[in-house]
Amino acid sequence: MLKLDEILVTRNWVGKPVRRKEDIRLVKGEAAYVDDLNMDCYQAAILRSPYAHARISRIDLTKAGALKGVVAVLTGQEVARETKPISARAITRPATQYVMAADKVRYVGEPVAAVVAEDRYIAEDALDLIEVEYEPLKPVVTIEDALKPDAPLVFEEAGSNVLMHDKMQHGDIEQAYREADLTLKEKFKVHRYSSTPLEPWAIIANYERASDSFVVWSNDQQHGRSLTNVCNTLGIPIHKLRLIVPDIGGGFGIKLALWPYIVILSLLAKKVSKPVKWIQTRREHLLAGSHAPDANVEIELALKKDGRILGLRITDIQNDGSFVHTAGIYGLIKFATMVGCYGIKATRAELLSIVTNKAPTVQNRGVGKPTMIFALERMVDIAAKRLGLDPSEIRLRNFVKPDQMPHTTPSGEIYESGDYPECLRKALRLVGYEESKKKRDDGRKTGKYIGIGISSGVEPGTSNLGYYYTARGLPEYTGNAEGAIVGIDYDGNVNVILGSVDSGQGHATTTAQVVADMLGISPERVSTANTMDSLISPFLGHSGVYSNKFNDVDLGAVIMATKKVRDKMLKIASHMLGASVAELKLKDGKVCLAKNEEKSVSFREIASLAYKRILLLPEGVEPGLKEIAYYKNPIAKLPNREDFNIQLTHSNSVHVVVVEVDVETGTVNFLRYVIVHDCGNQINPGIVEGMVIGSTVHGIGASLLEEFVYNEEGQLLSTTFMDYLKPTAIGVPKFELGHMESACPYTLLGTKAVGEGGSLPSLAAIANAVEDALSPFGVKVTSLPITPEKVLRAVRETKEI
Amino acid sequence: MHRIKLKINGKGFEHEVDSRLLLIHYLREKARLTGTHVGCDTGNCGACTIIFNGKAVKSCMILAVQANGAELTTIEGIAQNGFHPIQESFMDKFAVQCGYCTPGMIMSAHALLLENPDPNETEIREAIEGNLCMCTGYQQIVEAISHAAKKIGRSEKK
Ligand code: FES
Ligand code: FES
Repeated sequence: MLKLDEILVTRNWVGKPVRRKEDIRLVKGEAAYVDDLNMDCYQAAILRSPYAHARISRIDLTKAGALKGVVAVLTGQEVARETKPISARAITRPATQYVMAADKVRYVGEPVAAVVAEDRYIAEDALDLIEVEYEPLKPVVTIEDALKPDAPLVFEEAGSNVLMHDKMQHGDIEQAYREADLTLKEKFKVHRYSSTPLEPWAIIANYERASDSFVVWSNDQQHGRSLTNVCNTLGIPIHKLRLIVPDIGGGFGIKLALWPYIVILSLLAKKVSKPVKWIQTRREHLLAGSHAPDANVEIELALKKDGRILGLRITDIQNDGSFVHTAGIYGLIKFATMVGCYGIKATRAELLSIVTNKAPTVQNRGVGKPTMIFALERMVDIAAKRLGLDPSEIRLRNFVKPDQMPHTTPSGEIYESGDYPECLRKALRLVGYEESKKKRDDGRKTGKYIGIGISSGVEPGTSNLGYYYTARGLPEYTGNAEGAIVGIDYDGNVNVILGSVDSGQGHATTTAQVVADMLGISPERVSTANTMDSLISPFLGHSGVYSNKFNDVDLGAVIMATKKVRDKMLKIASHMLGASVAELKLKDGKVCLAKNEEKSVSFREIASLAYKRILLLPEGVEPGLKEIAYYKNPIAKLPNREDFNIQLTHSNSVHVVVVEVDVETGTVNFLRYVIVHDCGNQINPGIVEGMVIGSTVHGIGASLLEEFVYNEEGQLLSTTFMDYLKPTAIGVPKFELGHMESACPYTLLGTKAVGEGGSLPSLAAIANAVEDALSPFGVKVTSLPITPEKVLRAVRETKEI
Repeated sequence: MHRIKLKINGKGFEHEVDSRLLLIHYLREKARLTGTHVGCDTGNCGACTIIFNGKAVKSCMILAVQANGAELTTIEGIAQNGFHPIQESFMDKFAVQCGYCTPGMIMSAHALLLENPDPNETEIREAIEGNLCMCTGYQQIVEAISHAAKKIGRSEKK
């Protein structure tokens, strides 16, 4: 692997809070999100099922099709004839689902027909004219419903509502239980929620008749895979689809699953002679735009009396709703880091993916790890209480120690670096732990219910794809990688095209910082394309913005491509200056002699040889100054149930929260919120800070406010931001941050994941704080969200949230 | 159909519109000012915030016909050349991630600072309570607005 000194020739930009290059357009309202593209389009609207579970006995679009302004209609039957079913990844039972329901609907909001019209108002009018007759079936809503022996089957062909059931054991779990002084077991319930990006899903599809091919614009955050998925489903070769991803208004995983709608839009586009646009409404987004699954987690610790955790068992049941593409994935991701920051040596995991008549699920920010950390960190608190230990002390006794790094967990995950104990100590210092405890204890005497909650967590990044095939044999994707093209233009400025996309992370800025320090120029001279175009961009199956892989493989590709360009420039300059490459250095946009900086050639002069006076190039050097590189993470192991690293970098953090619970109203108010995190070397601390805070606020929403509430008929009751409550500027605390930087030995810049971090430990930290605050009432927190109603009920009667 | 005449960012606009056309759709599709965004269409997210006769409003809650004769300012109009101090501060303080909420946020901040040039943190948080940001967790936005207020205050004193 290249060393940092071989990569960076200056240290002027990497590590500094350089102002974001993206913002110039964004603050002026000059961004180009899909809906902003100036195209003459028809508009599509989608008819969605009003039932959770029903057979479609008749569908008639005659009236809708006859409405003035309507130009095309599409039904589920037609979709089933024209396309292949949605591909499954992790489930092991057969389940056939198309991108539109043909004969049976499986959730409220499932597409059953679509209309294309002159404008969106007419398209929506036309939906009202579609006649559908349904034969309602008994819905399966909860995990408990789905597991009943006589439960109706969501997919008859599966023969069960359990689509995946896997068991894994790592380390000597029997010995751990034999040696344990006690075991503690608890069941936790985590609800459905979503990070709800502010820009909903958006697609424009155009069919080019002459070439029989499609051009699609979409805010898809994983285009590398979507290209394959869409083409396979449509049954076309990949060159028949050009996918363009412009600006994305937030993703958080929720835009990993919009590709089935690209299939629908492509079918619609084929029927008409103009591009067809579909912009999801917020109601559609909440109803059917994918959620994080609800889950029941049973967790058991095998402990010594001194608090050491010898073994950990979980039974994890995910309510994956109805979307076979994602079903089963959550459990497999969460089991990878189930031991958290702790040196637990033996684990057993039983993972079930349940299909129900709820909306599809997709990899929402953190993908199951918030749930896993919630259960684990709650359990550690319960253990501390039982053993009479301070919550900080039990954690310190179990953390992996810095001198044990790199540490391999029982299942093969490699924690590369970090000082977990110091991270906690630093957070305790920041919050003033002893004073906070005193304040809490004094408060109790005066009827103030203050609580302190601690939670730690590992934040994994860069998914080693293929993990979801551990139960299915050969994976279609393995490892992780990204591509980049770096070129110097005629003027000696740099252009970068990334294989990936940006949904708010400031990739153009961080890329420019790195390239600038690699070439000895200012980031102003580096521009990055803000559009991914599958015709041009160096993408691959792994491409996309997910699992915090940018800092690792995306920048890895940028670095390798920049290095190729740099090597070529040095070669040309050596010829021009009549000196060997070893005698040269880069400075201020020039290549000069290290010993005599006066003697130099500018990038522009080098470029003029490369692009124009090509006959002056040295022997054997190709014209042009543009290079492509792909970079893969170097430590990814092949899928293997015994020893497999599912994630390839591991950041860590500690959250310490002080809350006051108002037992009259049931509300939880933040008094302090301290986060100490370690994401390795930081490239842009201004961006990192925003990621840490932003993702923590997702955790606050999930802990206290947000919930997709279904009734027993499977109707979703929270379908607007009036009843699906998001955190606002008022309800969130002012965060106090502390940073640590334990360089990652396996990434080129020593960086690690940042982006999901805050959303992982926050759920447990808040729950632990609330339980502590309500300890005078003996309340136990085993579920989320902690709503005022649940608090009041717990304080008055149930003693359980 | 109704004929409406209005001023947006100081420029006159005149169109035939359907009575049910929302102002946000008028702005984006007829006036082709796409800096104002749609995040919900139920009045809860603030992505569509504009200034309507001097007051911040959510343009998804208003019909285009109701804007007949009105004077509107959208994100495109708060600084004709260069950047408004609020825009500058949003860049300085890393208050932008995906940018989708940003125009609405800036318009709410703008309306706040017109009325209250020296707001404290609580007042800032209250003023943007109707604007959801899914990315930032608000802290850097609040800092940016406070920073902008100081900047504007300083330049006015000069
Ligand atoms: S789009 Fe108007 S408030 Fe959300
Ligand atoms: S920056 Fe993305 S919604 Fe605010």
